[in-house]
Amino acid sequence: MIERVYDVFARKHRGDQLAHIGYVDALDDEMARVYAWKTYDEENWFEMCVIRRSNIIPVNRQDGPFSGSKGEGE
Amino acid sequence: MVLSNEDELKQKIQDGYIVESREEMTEGYRKALIVQLTVQADTELMSAPAYWMAARHAPSTNTQVSAHAIIQDELAHANIAYRLLEDIGESKEQLVYGRQPHEFKHPYGFDQPLDNWADLVVANGFFDRAGITLLSDVYQNTSYGPLKRALVKVDMEETFHLRHGEVWMRRLAKAGGEAKEIVQCSVDWMFPMTIEWFGLPDDLKRHSGQLDYKLKGLSNDELRQVWMSSTVPLCEELGLNVPAHFDSETEEYVLDYPFPCEYDTADKRWVFEDGESTWDTVFKRWKGRGPMNEIYVESIQRSRRDVGGWLAEKRQAY
Ligand SMILES: [Fe+2]
Ligand SMILES: [Fe+2]
Repeated sequence: MIERVYDVFARKHRGDQLAHIGYVDALDDEMARVYAWKTYDEENWFEMCVIRRSNIIPVNRQDGPFSGSKGEGE
Repeated sequence: MVLSNEDELKQKIQDGYIVESREEMTEGYRKALIVQLTVQADTELMSAPAYWMAARHAPSTNTQVSAHAIIQDELAHANIAYRLLEDIGESKEQLVYGRQPHEFKHPYGFDQPLDNWADLVVANGFFDRAGITLLSDVYQNTSYGPLKRALVKVDMEETFHLRHGEVWMRRLAKAGGEAKEIVQCSVDWMFPMTIEWFGLPDDLKRHSGQLDYKLKGLSNDELRQVWMSSTVPLCEELGLNVPAHFDSETEEYVLDYPFPCEYDTADKRWVFEDGESTWDTVFKRWKGRGPMNEIYVESIQRSRRDVGGWLAEKRQAY
């Protein structure tokens, strides 16, 4: 039972930018969806999605949380 | 980019530099941020069992549901702060499940029992107000980008907790009679408790680096003033007595009791008649932790063991 880090993205209104709003740790994608929706309930989001941190591929930076495969198996 | 020394980083931060990753931190910066985030995370976490045990005293199902909504928020806030700690090299697992009760870094106020509905709503009015005071200052001043962004949600929800507290304080005070008496009792122990929460007065404070690294902006005494500037007028308006007043000459709020002061946990009462205590005594009392410390921490840590044990049992029975 290994929890993974998922990053949460959302936009408040139609036409808004999708923005990184937070993160959850979850055992699988389905749990991550539920945790994200329940944890970040401060707005009535138009759209929300989660992505495994390990699936984020950094383009220009070698540092920070998205670099490497740090999100995996934490 | 790797910075070689503390002074260089401090200078850049004073010029407006925002830190975005662990790799950009000096060890001094990382240590100071860990201390700040641990206090923040532990405070959010301990508020959950404290509020949860108090929510049993809710006067109706509806009111209990609002209390539970607040508890859910607090757990989310704790998760956010521990998650931030993971990104700078700490382990959430270890912090939540691997520490002894006395090793948590939340304020002494969250080692105390909340014994009735008035205690809970005054905690929302006073403790959550203290949280907002501290975190708004962090939001406005922090040099750590991820923390600033995470605080948007937290602040929004803390404002709701505060409103819950103040609306209920008003209802109880307006109701008069016994309702007003119990809310006054809560105010009596919780007002000095929150004042103490802000820590050492500025003239005694050791230099901590939190200001150099711009992890916060205001000093302890300034934060105490901000908290009193909302809390004292509210209580006066509601006809609740608080041991502080506004001095129009110095334009500051002044405490009307010896500070620091000793607290009698058995009686839930500040021992004003013993006069001024020392901060050494206060630190000793904080270190010894309060009556609910073990119970609150245990209630958080137990959940994992109970669920783990239950699952193992089911597995064996299969
Ligand atoms: Fe909170
Ligand atoms: Fe709160």
